[in-house]
Amino acid sequence: MTDNTNDTKHDDVDPSTQTGSYALGALDADEVAAFEKHLAEHPETRNEATELSDTAVLLGLAVPPVAPPASLKASLLSQLDATPQLPAQTPAAPPLLAGPAETRARARWASRPVVALASAAAVIGLIAGGGAIATSVFQNNQRQEQADLFAAITAASDSQRRSVELAEGTATLVWSGELGASALIVDGLEPLPSDETYELWYIGESGIRSAGTFSADGSRTWRVLEGSMEAGDIVGVTVEPRGGSEQPTTDPIIQIDSA
Amino acid sequence: MNAQPGTLPAMLDVVSHDYSLGQDDSAAAVARRLQSLLERVATGDKNAFSELYDEIAPRVFGLVKRVLIDHAQAEEVTQEVFLEIWQNATRFDASKGSAVTWMLTMTHRRAIDRIRASQSSRDRDLRIGIRDFEPGHDGVAEHVEVSVEHERVARAMARLTDLQRQAIELSYYGGYTNSEVAGILSVPLGTVKTRIRDGMIRLRDELGVTS
Repeated sequence: MTDNTNDTKHDDVDPSTQTGSYALGALDADEVAAFEKHLAEHPETRNEATELSDTAVLLGLAVPPVAPPASLKASLLSQLDATPQLPAQTPAAPPLLAGPAETRARARWASRPVVALASAAAVIGLIAGGGAIATSVFQNNQRQEQADLFAAITAASDSQRRSVELAEGTATLVWSGELGASALIVDGLEPLPSDETYELWYIGESGIRSAGTFSADGSRTWRVLEGSMEAGDIVGVTVEPRGGSEQPTTDPIIQIDSA
Repeated sequence: MNAQPGTLPAMLDVVSHDYSLGQDDSAAAVARRLQSLLERVATGDKNAFSELYDEIAPRVFGLVKRVLIDHAQAEEVTQEVFLEIWQNATRFDASKGSAVTWMLTMTHRRAIDRIRASQSSRDRDLRIGIRDFEPGHDGVAEHVEVSVEHERVARAMARLTDLQRQAIELSYYGGYTNSEVAGILSVPLGTVKTRIRDGMIRLRDELGVTS
């Protein structure tokens, strides 16, 4: 056991020996990043990693099914309206132009859920704007940036959400403490006169910080809050004069406590 | 639930339910049904989501619970998985893998993410891991229902060396990283990686997985 392979932490391990560990989710975050970089350049390793990942799914299917409590489904269904679906990706370049097997493998890796979200910044440039998607309050490149952030927040391992009922409609806060970021999704919030705006606030121990403004039109809309969220912050929304205020001038119409 | 083991083909032994009598439950039919449900979910169809949930939730919950043990956390993670399915259904592409593969991969990743994010879980007594995953110990056998898939995988697992099997079980069902597995089994890290790879390749071949 004085074998110095004990010390082969990250650098001197041949990545091609890590396909099994990758498939089982046994690599730590640094190792995953290094391994995926390796995959991008080595189709052989990629094919093996794909097959071993499929094998790992069989380990999952070998576990006896357990019926979740009925309340779980009810809770899920009630959250769908406030949970925007990601826009579909437009088809990539015609696959026949590149080596088919490699293209297929590459496309497949890019489509793995967490991989896809992690690399959303690179991939999502193709916002299609389909029917079921909540409109972001932003346009074009800002909207893309918002969509990336939104995806990152919802995909974070510590992602949490909380909904509150409004007089008309609902508001849902999604946040990740790890990322120090949050997004608010509102449904049914009425449009304001043109000289007013909705303004978001982080309310915490260090005071009240503006987190940007948004408009609403009675349907579903969402935005990622500006600035960074601190643990235990309350997110509030007030109605402010057009352009926003430095500190709230009215009582909040929405308050969601992340503690 | 002692529902006729064997009426469903191995790969897609998706929970038997009442209506299995009225539906075509060949593996291909189940795969087609899940795929078509997922494609409808991608269009924002909540009824399809509800049906998909009924089909696959016991699989998702069973796996998450196996990894996390804790019931409340397993419920939370199951909920996260289904919200992720709802959000990402637009990105599912059947030409790149089956619907079950897509959903179960997501499920496992979420479960181990939760283990690693949670300090209390990180502090789990490693001896618990050893006790639960002793060679030969088969927690699944305690259940009345034994799925076809389970038997197939169990047979394939039995052909591995002890070290391969332990390392794979600790990783997949225990959510331990390579380094943790090396500590638990008292073998060098490099050995863990190669044994896991060798074992997974063996399983792949025994189970006939091809990409």
